Amino acid sequence: MGADSILVRMYDVGFGDCFFVKINVAGATCKMLFDCGSIKAGPRPIGEVVKDVIEAAKDTDLTSRIDVIVATHRHRDHVSGFASPLWNAVEVKEVWMPWTENPDDSAARKIRDSQSKLAAALASNIQRKTALWAASNPTQENPGLTAVANLAANAVSNEAAMQALHEGFAGNPVRRFFPTGNRKDDIFEAPVSKAVLVHVFGPSRDEKVIRDMDPPAGQSYLQLYDGNDPASGGTEPFREDWWMDADPPEVSYLLSSSDRARVNSIGADLDFNLAAALDKAVNGTSLMLMLRIGGQWLLFPGDAQWGTWQAALENPQWKQLLMKTTFYKIGHHGSHNATPVDFVEHTLGNDFLAMASTSHVDQWPSIPKEELLLALGKKTEKIARSDKQMEAPAPTFRVAKDQYIEAEIPLVP
Amino acid sequence: MKRALSEYVTAPPARRPLKIFSTDPMLGRTAGNRITIDVANEGLNKGPAGRRVVVIDYDGGHSRFYPPVDLNDPAILMQGGLDPTESDPRFHQQMVYAVAMRTLENFDRALGRVIDFRKKEYQQLRLMPHAFYGANAFYDRDLHAILFGYFRADRNDPGQNLPGQNVFTCLSHDIIAHEMTHAVVDRLKRYFMEPTNEDVLAFHEGFSDIVALFQHFSFQEILRQQIQKSRSDLRSNTLLVELARQFGYATGAGKALRSALDKPEAKLYKTAYEPHERGSILVAAVFDAYFATYQRRIRDLIRIATGGTGELPKGDLHPDLVNRIAAEASATAQQILTMCMRAFDYLPPVDITFGDYLRALVTADYELVPNDEYGERGAMIEAFRLRGIYPENVASLAEESLLWENADPGISGIPLAGQDMLQELFFAAADFGNVSTPWVNWGQQSSATSRPTSSFPEADADMEITSTMAQILHGYAQQNRQYFHLSDDPGIKIEVHGFHPVFRVAPNGQLLIELVVQFAQTNRSFTTELGGLPLRGGTTLIASADGQIRYIISKPLPSANLSPAKKREAEARLDRQRTYLRLTDMADPKLSYYSPQDLLNRMRFRMNLASLHQGIS
Repeated sequence: MGADSILVRMYDVGFGDCFFVKINVAGATCKMLFDCGSIKAGPRPIGEVVKDVIEAAKDTDLTSRIDVIVATHRHRDHVSGFASPLWNAVEVKEVWMPWTENPDDSAARKIRDSQSKLAAALASNIQRKTALWAASNPTQENPGLTAVANLAANAVSNEAAMQALHEGFAGNPVRRFFPTGNRKDDIFEAPVSKAVLVHVFGPSRDEKVIRDMDPPAGQSYLQLYDGNDPASGGTEPFREDWWMDADPPEVSYLLSSSDRARVNSIGADLDFNLAAALDKAVNGTSLMLMLRIGGQWLLFPGDAQWGTWQAALENPQWKQLLMKTTFYKIGHHGSHNATPVDFVEHTLGNDFLAMASTSHVDQWPSIPKEELLLALGKKTEKIARSDKQMEAPAPTFRVAKDQYIEAEIPLVP
Repeated sequence: MKRALSEYVTAPPARRPLKIFSTDPMLGRTAGNRITIDVANEGLNKGPAGRRVVVIDYDGGHSRFYPPVDLNDPAILMQGGLDPTESDPRFHQQMVYAVAMRTLENFDRALGRVIDFRKKEYQQLRLMPHAFYGANAFYDRDLHAILFGYFRADRNDPGQNLPGQNVFTCLSHDIIAHEMTHAVVDRLKRYFMEPTNEDVLAFHEGFSDIVALFQHFSFQEILRQQIQKSRSDLRSNTLLVELARQFGYATGAGKALRSALDKPEAKLYKTAYEPHERGSILVAAVFDAYFATYQRRIRDLIRIATGGTGELPKGDLHPDLVNRIAAEASATAQQILTMCMRAFDYLPPVDITFGDYLRALVTADYELVPNDEYGERGAMIEAFRLRGIYPENVASLAEESLLWENADPGISGIPLAGQDMLQELFFAAADFGNVSTPWVNWGQQSSATSRPTSSFPEADADMEITSTMAQILHGYAQQNRQYFHLSDDPGIKIEVHGFHPVFRVAPNGQLLIELVVQFAQTNRSFTTELGGLPLRGGTTLIASADGQIRYIISKPLPSANLSPAKKREAEARLDRQRTYLRLTDMADPKLSYYSPQDLLNRMRFRMNLASLHQGIS
């Protein structure tokens, strides 16, 4: 490790993110960890991956130290690994999280509360429906319900992990929340080394992006199921003596049984729609960072969605910076709308590395989006994906079978 | 014949009075909240079930019915309808029927013909006042129904409702009128729900809000009250320009659902893509035009009342003054609303933009009232300009430039010679005049031939033309493809989408008769690329009563036989549809989670008004 270089190591966690970054520059070493979580295990369970990371972060005195832990957002597949008690022994200098995690920010608290309430309501509602289904279909699975259940489960707060991020680790780390609201703080030098410059692109504090973080449809949903037993149709609109025991012949002939079935099933899609809206909401809180070290520009967008990207691409100065990207951690496991077409076609140059931490989930055939990976592939050969280790082109990428894929990026002085 | 048996004695009355809540039930017995409106008197069965609309009180959340009301019950007739109450489902049925019919009549009058909702499977549009548990209401094309939800007010932030009280969307005049408008627009222009550009769904939403809002101005008592309160400055008061207050408050939003007022900014039209947000720009533009015209019309009243100073005296305004101002406010509102509805016939059959709508507004109004006496047209153009809404392919925003192009007089007219055509016109005229009498089959002939047979696939089976007529029109379109900018690609058929005569009475008393024909074409080779929507083009023809074509309003499909300019236009349309698909994809939270089948049809899902109204985007 003599020459200046950056090591980016993408651990294979299955469906999730865990990126270990080691920067050797100007005689110092800066270690960073971007997320650590999974909702579907890879070749090794997340517990083992955590051990690997902690091992890799060991200094010569055998104490594990990480300078900065970045938790881009609180989705399970990005934080579940932090629930492990092994982290208590790791010395951390700083923990970076999006501003929506700030316990002292009332706007942040409102968004967090809203999101967790919605996640809890969705989860319990789906659970109830699953139980009802299982009661009448003991051997069959309902793929629709399972899909929604998985989507909703990702958003349910992982309390142990969040607690570790906010209060755990050794070395009494400083917790920092970005963006701070003060524009000057959005570009700063990383701790340990002045040579590492950090740009914060998101999450935006723009009104529209915030609205996406706390969707009104979610509030509506919460209200619908707040204190009302949805199984019994929610609420009684009229007193019992208005209810008709038999269908009134004057009008009932106009409503066929298929019509009736359709009316009865209004709201059946609501869970799926809300789960997706919540998914987008939490993804929207993703911390989007650009690290500038020497001539290298590393972009880590977390799972940032269109709102954050749009704000970044519309700012002419930020767009200039994005054009310099030399390493791109492909957003949201390679999904379609976490990497805008505009970014791929008109912003990215041709000289960059890209890595995607992803894995196939049956109910989500569109993740990763093959067309996106193809489009990136047209611009550069240097792409690696965690679920296809063997295809990672050497010598750019080194593979440790079933453990990680890493790239060592030299820093030209 | 004995006088007692003659028509003078036995003819039913023309109007039926019915009571409704004019604003929101939560305002209780506030003056003007419980009012009586009247609708055309038609034969009604229990439900109420009329000729065009039927109320079916089925509760999908509980799989049960509530007793249908008989509005011809002497006890109910005697009172002019049941008294407004939240607890009696029969009043809800009455109110939904009354407001729906009121809205429909506005359209009839403005469009100069009777709109009906007959389809292959259904004879009438169904209204279901308590269809489901939810804070939502929507028109569903497949069910051919408007479904109203009910829910509980927010416990913590109920506004003026009781915490946790039942809130019925069917008791909101605004929501009923809004949804009814969706149904009518869908009936008049069935391709306007296919989101081919960022204005399409926004137009549906905005236009529905416009109708609901302007109908407020026909409620005399509220109007007078609000004029008094705001001292004639209607912009400063809320009841008239806000939509669905109870709904907004009940869902904890702390304010009404939407409002007609805005800060006009050209930037918003460039950046607002969510349909309600974008639709609000249209609403605000039309309201701007309304206020400007209204202010101009009451200027002389104010001058008289203030002796020329323009300063109204302190305290209450004189009731006579309030009445006169109210009359002006009401008349202007009706005029602008009629202008907005009339414009429909001057729209292309597909791919609407706000710019198209402005041109249609200007042209339709110009036809009827060539000299813009109160400056309504000018106000409209100015209001659109302020908000950055510019039609494509026009040289300037001068009125003359905004009119649709006149057709070349050399084009052969619609072949009217023949019995069918005259019969069609006559029955339509008679029907228009007699909407209030109970449904009568105009002889076996009319009902038997008024549905085109399915052996003629080009004709849209839901439109009211005979198959003979459809064939004639199809042949006519084929012959004149060149002039009508229709593609001559042999694989793309010409669909005849409607032919109707329109009767309008100009302010000078003159009767104007026009013929409107619509053709559409569908190119299915782009469907996968466009997320499940085919590429459509079409042309609306406006002709005078003798068949001479006056206007050709076209949205061309890319095809070889077009002029270069039209080719560019067609390509631009396709590009715009692609861009819009990309835009909605970026914003769609469900995009990554669709099944492969659903993914191919994702644009069809975005046509769904239920999820649009739920605010899920």
